[in-house]
Amino acid sequence: MTGEQVLDVIRAAVVTVLEVQPGTVGRATRFVEDLRADSLAIVEIVEIVEEELARRVGPGFRIDDEDLEDLVTVGDALDYALARL
Amino acid sequence: MRVALDLMGGDDAPSAVVDAALLVADTQPDVEIILVGPVDVAERLLAGRGTPGRLRLAAASEVVGMDEDGARAVRAKKDATVRVVHRLVRDGEADAAVSTGPTGATLAAAVLDLGRTARRPALAVVVPTAAGPVVLLDAGATVEGSVEQLVEHAVLGAAYAAALGLEDPRVGLLNVGHEPGKGDPLRREAFAALSAAPLRFVGNVEGHDVVRGGKADVVVTDGFTGNVLLKGLEAGLQRAGADLPVSAVLLGVDGVCVVGHGAASAVDIAACVGVAARAVQQRLLDRLAAALEGQQPAVAAP
Repeated sequence: MTGEQVLDVIRAAVVTVLEVQPGTVGRATRFVEDLRADSLAIVEIVEIVEEELARRVGPGFRIDDEDLEDLVTVGDALDYALARL
Repeated sequence: MRVALDLMGGDDAPSAVVDAALLVADTQPDVEIILVGPVDVAERLLAGRGTPGRLRLAAASEVVGMDEDGARAVRAKKDATVRVVHRLVRDGEADAAVSTGPTGATLAAAVLDLGRTARRPALAVVVPTAAGPVVLLDAGATVEGSVEQLVEHAVLGAAYAAALGLEDPRVGLLNVGHEPGKGDPLRREAFAALSAAPLRFVGNVEGHDVVRGGKADVVVTDGFTGNVLLKGLEAGLQRAGADLPVSAVLLGVDGVCVVGHGAASAVDIAACVGVAARAVQQRLLDRLAAALEGQQPAVAAP
């Protein structure tokens, strides 16, 4: 998958869970500060992204819980996913 | 009617939960309890107590603690009791889930395993008053509020009140004064939006209106304020020696989910099961879905 495709998966999950406009979600967007995502919303986004990426590239993709704290922006999540795919 | 009951939820679990399950077997003949937790623990507590036919066990090996972040813990513990009760509902093996475990974990499990039907779920608590019951929501599911969320919760609350038998329920917005224009920007915008919504909106109400009743049958507010009010109300009721609200129904998820107070006794937990059973009997989910679609006014249950 290309970076743009993975970004689309993350953006779609954010839009679904937080009901924001897709255009407001870019690489620099911060989950907590900009999108006001609480811990449940973040877990929902993570599970949707995991499921969608697993569906596209095969099972096994998982975001480790201990790494969640480091994923501050959408770009962080994108880089993390690309490094593991 | 099958109710999945979290064996390990609450301050006095698992013994109070087992006592509650046996109490339900004695007093609620339409209900079959599915006790969800470590089977060996349940069997030890049930030993020699004449396990009734309408009680069965379902295995779950993990427990979410009170000090854990609910969402993270629920994600990590796929076999937690609070997850299994909701998965049984999702998979059609139970009609409702009841847990007196940590509210954050119960909320997270309900959202992850049942799915959301509203933007954000709300905890609805029925507050007994001299003027009749008042449905207060959100009592703490979603801390931050928005105008859209308050309107959606008002619609859900009105449908729930109707399911409880309150005809054409009056909806009030919790605020710091009765007059329009009171409150912070969120409340002022919500007032306008609620006035335009297909609801019997009666305007702003104050905290004492929730305690006394009479002004509104449904009081809507954000989860932060609602929880602060509820905790204060509980302390007042406790001081007066009155009964506390022991259950909250989670509205906005795709299943019937009742959250019990962490300090619930066996009698209280059995009452939570009764609340869940009544919600199923009154087809609460259908009523909520219809209300959200705006296809059906809030018609009281017989």
